[in-house]
Amino acid sequence: METPYLVPVYAVYATVTLALTVFLARTLFRNGAVFLEDVFKDTPKLGEAVNRLLVVGFYLVNLGYAALIMKATGADTVVEAVEVLAWKLGALLMSLAFMHFVNLFVFYRIRRRSRIAQLPPPVLPQMQLPAYYVSPNAFAPPVAAAVPAR
Amino acid sequence: MRSLPRLRQQSPRGDAVIPDALTVLYDSTCALCVRCRDWLSKQEAFVPLRFMACGSKEAREMYGSVPWLGEELVVVSDHGDVWAGPAAFITALWALREWREWSYRISGPELAPLAERFFHAISSNRRSIAAMIAPDSCEGGTCRVPHAYR
Repeated sequence: METPYLVPVYAVYATVTLALTVFLARTLFRNGAVFLEDVFKDTPKLGEAVNRLLVVGFYLVNLGYAALIMKATGADTVVEAVEVLAWKLGALLMSLAFMHFVNLFVFYRIRRRSRIAQLPPPVLPQMQLPAYYVSPNAFAPPVAAAVPAR
Repeated sequence: MRSLPRLRQQSPRGDAVIPDALTVLYDSTCALCVRCRDWLSKQEAFVPLRFMACGSKEAREMYGSVPWLGEELVVVSDHGDVWAGPAAFITALWALREWREWSYRISGPELAPLAERFFHAISSNRRSIAAMIAPDSCEGGTCRVPHAYR
């Protein structure tokens, strides 16, 4: 069967896919770094590594999926070629959008987990012991009439 | 015994003091409490936890001024803040990595009354619950449960 427009469809599809994936991955890398900097304050190298690994995963999933959905059955006319291309790019964009939100969610989770570590107890204490119970070493035995630490 | 004040939420912002260590004063004569202590001590925590039997001489000496000691679960921070009853359960959860989010969830305005009733019910029926879970020949389930003691 003659499908003269299939090769141009593939060519455009491959070009757009590559360009989009690279553009999105770079955006993700740049802006994700801001989130991760905040989370990995004391280990900036680790933050960078996490960011890089996330972007690599993003590339792998996107390019893999794009390659899987590339095959088209035929494009005999220009109209058909445009339709096939539009369908494929639509599917690709939807998958990219999904991946993008998954990534955002991952960043959000990572950040929330680090923020929660700095929150006070959710309920107010019912009473306060006299200051001499306070000792600089958390679990040292109480020293009567020690200097209040607060 | 002084009556236990109701749960009051603490705003995550503001000048709330964040404990650096917690002392958990539990009832060592109740099998359920001992099991809970064992569970608690195996969890990953944000702040170090120290366990003390509420009936011990040490506890009486250090925390004898807490009116709920021996009646309710009591948690004391290294700064001298005291939580008792349901608030103590929630503060103990707050200390744990996996459960801090839940401590906020259950102390929110919707769930707090329910959580309060739940912890009260558990606390005041601790002996019969222990007897139900691990029936033994001893009165009130106060005997040692196999494996509950290290």
